[in-house]
Amino acid sequence: MAAAKRRKKGESRVLRYLVLGGWALFCILPVLWFLSIGFRPRTEIITPQPIYWPTFSLDAWRMIWSDWPMALYLRNSVLAILGSVVICLVLAIPAAYSLSRYRYRYREDIGFYILSTRMMAPAIVAIPIFFLFRDMGLLDTIWALMLIYAAINLSLVTWIIRSYMLDIPPELEDAARTDGASDLRILWEIIIPACLPGIITAGVIAAIFAINEFLFTLLIASTSRAYTLSVALANFTGGSDGVIYNAIAMVAFLAFVPVFVVVVAIQKHLSRGLTMGAVKG
Amino acid sequence: MRRSRRLRKAFPYLLVAPAVGYLLMITLYPGIYAIYQSLFLVRFNSWTFVGLENYRDLLGDREFWQALRNTAIIGSIALATQCALALLLAYHAYRDPFIKGWRIIFLVPMLFMPSAVAFIWKLAFNDGRVVSDLLMRAGLIEANVSFLSSIWLARLSLIVADVWQWTPFLFIIFVAGLQSQDEEIEEAARLDGASWPAIFWNISLPMMMPVVAVAVVLRGIDITTMFANVFIMTQGTPGGATETISFFIYRTGFKTFNFGYASAASVLMLILTIIVAQTVVKRAFRSGRE
Amino acid sequence: MARIELSGIQKKWGAVWGVRDVNIDIADEEFVVFLGPSGCGKTTTMRMIAGLEEPSMGEIRMDGEVMNDVEARDRDVAMVFQGYALYPNMTIYENIRFPLRMRGVPRAEQDRMVREAAEMVELGSYLDRKPAALSGGQRQRAALGRAIVRQPQVFLMDEPLSNLDAKLRQAMRVQIKHLQRQLRITTVYVTHDQIEAMTLADRIVVMQGGLIQQIGTPDEIYADPANTFVAGFIGSPPMNLIEGEVSGGVFRAAGIEVAGVPVAGDRPVTLGVRPEDCHVGAEDAHLRGQVYGVEPTGESTYLTMKAGEKLIEVKARRDYRSALDVGEAVTFDRSRLYFFDAGSGRRIG
Repeated sequence: MAAAKRRKKGESRVLRYLVLGGWALFCILPVLWFLSIGFRPRTEIITPQPIYWPTFSLDAWRMIWSDWPMALYLRNSVLAILGSVVICLVLAIPAAYSLSRYRYRYREDIGFYILSTRMMAPAIVAIPIFFLFRDMGLLDTIWALMLIYAAINLSLVTWIIRSYMLDIPPELEDAARTDGASDLRILWEIIIPACLPGIITAGVIAAIFAINEFLFTLLIASTSRAYTLSVALANFTGGSDGVIYNAIAMVAFLAFVPVFVVVVAIQKHLSRGLTMGAVKG
Repeated sequence: MRRSRRLRKAFPYLLVAPAVGYLLMITLYPGIYAIYQSLFLVRFNSWTFVGLENYRDLLGDREFWQALRNTAIIGSIALATQCALALLLAYHAYRDPFIKGWRIIFLVPMLFMPSAVAFIWKLAFNDGRVVSDLLMRAGLIEANVSFLSSIWLARLSLIVADVWQWTPFLFIIFVAGLQSQDEEIEEAARLDGASWPAIFWNISLPMMMPVVAVAVVLRGIDITTMFANVFIMTQGTPGGATETISFFIYRTGFKTFNFGYASAASVLMLILTIIVAQTVVKRAFRSGRE
Repeated sequence: MARIELSGIQKKWGAVWGVRDVNIDIADEEFVVFLGPSGCGKTTTMRMIAGLEEPSMGEIRMDGEVMNDVEARDRDVAMVFQGYALYPNMTIYENIRFPLRMRGVPRAEQDRMVREAAEMVELGSYLDRKPAALSGGQRQRAALGRAIVRQPQVFLMDEPLSNLDAKLRQAMRVQIKHLQRQLRITTVYVTHDQIEAMTLADRIVVMQGGLIQQIGTPDEIYADPANTFVAGFIGSPPMNLIEGEVSGGVFRAAGIEVAGVPVAGDRPVTLGVRPEDCHVGAEDAHLRGQVYGVEPTGESTYLTMKAGEKLIEVKARRDYRSALDVGEAVTFDRSRLYFFDAGSGRRIG
């Protein structure tokens, strides 16, 4: 054999860590910086020159609870999210079951229709929805938010759960059926427990999108009766102070921490959830 | 309990009915309402029928086309950038033993509320002038640059905010796609003499195309509806250069209260969405389905 | 064309041993088969030769040069995988061309070499198809084609036939052997199928538990097994292994007595005798027992004898028939008896 080329086995590693590390820094530094903003006194946020070594202060924390009905915002967010997720799951689970297990004539079309609602831009239906809720007297209520969030997430949740249901071997149902179980019982006692990871993933992702929702919430919620965290942020202005960034940063982190914890817990299922089942992580 | 044949056949339809019904309520009713309203000139509570005049005005409205152009420009640059970045990162990360750690770190931007992210970058680019300051210290520019008052710089700040937050979305999906590929094929390529970049370019990436397509379509649709960033960071300035189509509808509807006009724009967007859904989604639906 | 030398090769993952102490010299153009049950370390050893795994200890040499630090892509080794590993997005032509592209072979040459290789595996008319459009056997041949196109120094094959049906397997065996002779390339072949090993190999390396049990030609392995594992692994139906005792030159077990045994002393011994080296008859009546089963196969009849708790296979004449539980006597061919130490399994006589 002619003299073999010897390539150093480790040389590509340098480039790899440069790229990955670089992006990691780009991800984390703004977060750390923003975190520092949350812990600054009011005077140090907007200054002629940016301050890189700020003084520590809990001004923001005090502020958000005293100057704004923070507890109320939290309550609204939590209620709206929980309510919408429940509505979503109640509608989506049977639908997913139907799409995954049965063969019927319009199954493709129905599935396609549900999928297509994911593609709909909120802005398109924003105005009619606004008028609809106004006429129904539902403006500025949490119910309206629940209904909207559920509608936005329904497509996603249905497809995620459907994807997990497809993994369940049909023999399981056949066995239950010969044992005498009715279809609904099968759904309740066998299918749902079997695709619980999928249901949880779908619920979590739906909750996150509900927290994030901005446009509809902006239109529907006009007083703190229905303000959620997402929109409350946009209203943290204090007249002459302009935008109160340290308060915003504080609230942003308040919302971030639980989301982070939950997502890390389900991260295995994340890619599958985000692509509605198309990519199995 | 014996069920009638009819009930048995109808059962799957009954299961989907609530979901479909709900969605129809949220899409069909507003859709019809929007079409109806678009034919009127709406001033507070008085509706005057004007037929297709709204549409005629719309198509002649410079701002409307500007909004479309903005959406296209900002959207495509942001999408292309995050796609390329996500591929690059996924290529390096998917074989790395520390992949779980990278994934968690990269996920962080995605887990903030979009409105919060908008504020982060608003502060960085404009109000706090951090970016400008850093660039000055690095010697790249002489004086403070006001990002949000220059057309392209304002767009850039929107793009940066979107790329920062949503690259992880694509990254997670791409990594999952790469990791699910058969290891033997990669080993065969190694023995065939291919370097890692060659393997990625010739084999892994082509094999991953369906996955890339699905992810890019999903993200692409979300980008075209960019609203929070615009609302919080620029409000469409300077001079409408960063007004996306969603913001245009919002502004004409809720700022100038020209609801009929805004509805017309909504209807046009609806038609566009339907066309996109028919072509792109149907293809992804058929091929991307398991 | 290369010699391969493995010296002191070990592979460990954490606390788990994959391969312990493998030493073997493979000559140029030799066809060596690594044979053993799953998990015995044969595939791991081969992957270390390929460079896909690094040995925890030991050296791998090709033509005298140490290869441990050489990357897989530089080793000039071609591998046929069990799952074929064809690139799904490329046509067969592109698949076969790929290694040539990666090595920088000039374009004009590429086409010629691809077509030559395709001809050799009889896929000339399938070059435009993608792997998904081919049958299992065709994919196998495509994988072979891709391996041979660049005239590597070494062929490695990881159970390439195990995904094929029996008939196809037989045809491919012949083709592979023929190709190897034609191309004169050193080949390492991994399998758990002893028939493949016996028919293809110049030498067989029998492995179990990460250790080499025996290295030898098929004849040697068959006729001269080094321990009970090798003896029981090769041959179908497998050799009968009967535990018993030798004392005073006589082997005794339930229902069995063999005199004049070349084993000294008194010790527990395992007797090995192949079914085809037994016949029904009472001349020496080494075995007395009951008929437990009679299985005619057309070519012969296999008689299962029950002696004490043991079942013993005997190859009888094709027209042998008997009722069950009837007493029967069997004589062994004395020149074809094997004796193993009952504890270690090593051959002692």
